[in-house]
Amino acid sequence: MKTITNILLVALAFTFTACDQPAEKIHIREGIRSDDLASNIVTRPVAHAFSALIGEGIEIDEAILMNNDSGFLELNINGHNRSYNTKRFRYKIEWLDANGLMIQTKTSTWLPASAMGKSSFSLKAVAPRVEAVDFRMDTKKWE
Amino acid sequence: MRTKIIITLVGLFLAGCAAETVNIDVVNDEGKAVMELDYRDFAQAASEMIQSMISSGALKKPGGGRYVMTTARVTNDTMQRIDTDQLMAKIEEELLNSGQVVMTSAVGGRGAPDEMIYEMRDIRDSATGDEFKQETLAGKKTLIAPELSIAGKIFQRNIRYDRNRQQVEYYFQLMITDLTTGLRFWQKESIIGKRGSNRSVAW
Repeated sequence: MKTITNILLVALAFTFTACDQPAEKIHIREGIRSDDLASNIVTRPVAHAFSALIGEGIEIDEAILMNNDSGFLELNINGHNRSYNTKRFRYKIEWLDANGLMIQTKTSTWLPASAMGKSSFSLKAVAPRVEAVDFRMDTKKWE
Repeated sequence: MRTKIIITLVGLFLAGCAAETVNIDVVNDEGKAVMELDYRDFAQAASEMIQSMISSGALKKPGGGRYVMTTARVTNDTMQRIDTDQLMAKIEEELLNSGQVVMTSAVGGRGAPDEMIYEMRDIRDSATGDEFKQETLAGKKTLIAPELSIAGKIFQRNIRYDRNRQQVEYYFQLMITDLTTGLRFWQKESIIGKRGSNRSVAW
């Protein structure tokens, strides 16, 4: 029992060590880069299994809104995938006017997105109406 | 007699097994992907195209105002019977609503989108035209020529993926051209790929 607890604690430590690294401009993946303590032939399967066990997935770091030169609202979303596996999902962005009412547009449809394991990703969307001042976003599993 | 009973029972059995018809929730469709292009694929391609056009700034007219745009020929080079308006109607609607362009119904790649423009002019020039108040009939040289044209094509490639599966790639390509100078202002390709059973026929 004590051994299992120790393994879990070590895996937990490895997982958090790997997750808390800031987003890198150059990302060299596991299997290509040099192994470290959290990612070598012995610890890698444990860390992967533990990541799957605790259900790591997508997280959004920031959502930047700005008006482009033509006066349309642009949304840039930056996030990262905590999991070791590629996460495929769909997202839908709805645009809201100054009264908080949804603007009906053909661009508000489910669009595919994908983020590789332990990688950052970005999504970009543009409101097709100048009335848009805000947004809301929903996600769902890739069917 | 026995045969009739069997036929009746088989008929009832098959009727009971028939898939129930349901309306699709087109907003949040949880249905499986299909090998052919379906409305979700067109919605995705149109959304990507519209956002790219608007964010590119290509439709921002120098000096203000709106461009007059027409839809030229959008070719269907897939193996499916597709009306390319399935894509273009969405794009035209959003471009109009964006306030950056105004579409003309006087000319288009497949002729005038609204034939009534010319039918009314034919009436004006015929004896029937005398039946109308002359000031309500369109005068000559009143139509406005388009400044921009949007054209493109949709095509398909079928690839054998492995023994049991095939890969079907659909390419949506559109471009916007300035009709005065012939210069291309914007261009985009959007790809939708599907992988599935060899037994599915993508046409």
